[in-house]
Amino acid sequence: MADLLTHLLVPYVLLTVASWRVDWLDQRWVVVGMGGAAIPDLIKVRIVVDESTVETLLGIPFAYGPLSTFGGILLLAGIITVAFERRHWGRVFGLVTFGGLTSLLLDGMRVYADGRASAWLYPFTNWRPPTPSLYVSSDPTVLVVAVLAAGTVTLLDRRIRARN
Amino acid sequence: MRVWVRVVIVLGLCLTLGGLFVHAAVTEEQRSPYPDAADLSSGYDSYVGQEVMVFGTVTETTGSGMTISAESGGTAITLRVTETEAAVEPGGVVQVYGTLEPNQTIAGERVEVVNSSRRAEFYKYGASAIGALGFLLLFFRYWRINRDTWTLEARDG
Repeated sequence: MADLLTHLLVPYVLLTVASWRVDWLDQRWVVVGMGGAAIPDLIKVRIVVDESTVETLLGIPFAYGPLSTFGGILLLAGIITVAFERRHWGRVFGLVTFGGLTSLLLDGMRVYADGRASAWLYPFTNWRPPTPSLYVSSDPTVLVVAVLAAGTVTLLDRRIRARN
Repeated sequence: MRVWVRVVIVLGLCLTLGGLFVHAAVTEEQRSPYPDAADLSSGYDSYVGQEVMVFGTVTETTGSGMTISAESGGTAITLRVTETEAAVEPGGVVQVYGTLEPNQTIAGERVEVVNSSRRAEFYKYGASAIGALGFLLLFFRYWRINRDTWTLEARDG
């Protein structure tokens, strides 16, 4: 998968641009959407506690894979949503899910040797969508593009807000 | 909303997520048609002639191929990849797609370099650490924890 910084910058760019048209979508809500983009990266927990260790402890099969799927995004978006005040639940759930989906789509465009991405729509389908194989996860070009896009959007955003 | 109601909702969602972790492990073969390192270690000969895709750490490179170590579920297997060239150093990570041959060998059809070296991997984790720290600073600039209701609330109301 792309690095976490790139994952966070993609919804930042998209939601900041959207905020120019949507009145309620200010910076605090953009940040909430960015948080959703970090959900698929939670799979890195396997570096700290390996799946085989969990399987041994629990005595049942176990895989962290769903953290990087649509099903995992929806469930974790629900958990995050409940941490906010009740009146914000609809907005938080929508933004966190959106952020998570941008990360899944970005990861779905990276290189796979057999030409098919992971089954990121699980558990709704086991289908592995074809990937355009645009980048590998350690390619700095992806982050450079994301940083440049975020910088440009930040400057434009400040100019637009100053004008208003 | 009362705290205990939110705790019940969170517990329900966590249990469902836990169920998904188990379901994903049980049904893994439906999403990955290829044997993993543990499968290859335990029954290599039964997969000879099949298409495989493995992720592995490069341990040695030669003129026309490389040796990789693939690991899954705490089990590792060493595989020789032939008929391929890739710009990668020992310590780098590759995806290999090809046909499994006898004697722990893959006739590589396509090799993709995930991390060309350990440095590339450190770059990725470094960028991720900066992202995590930056996000936390940004988030708590706009949101705070209300210790009376145990909810996140906007700093400017």
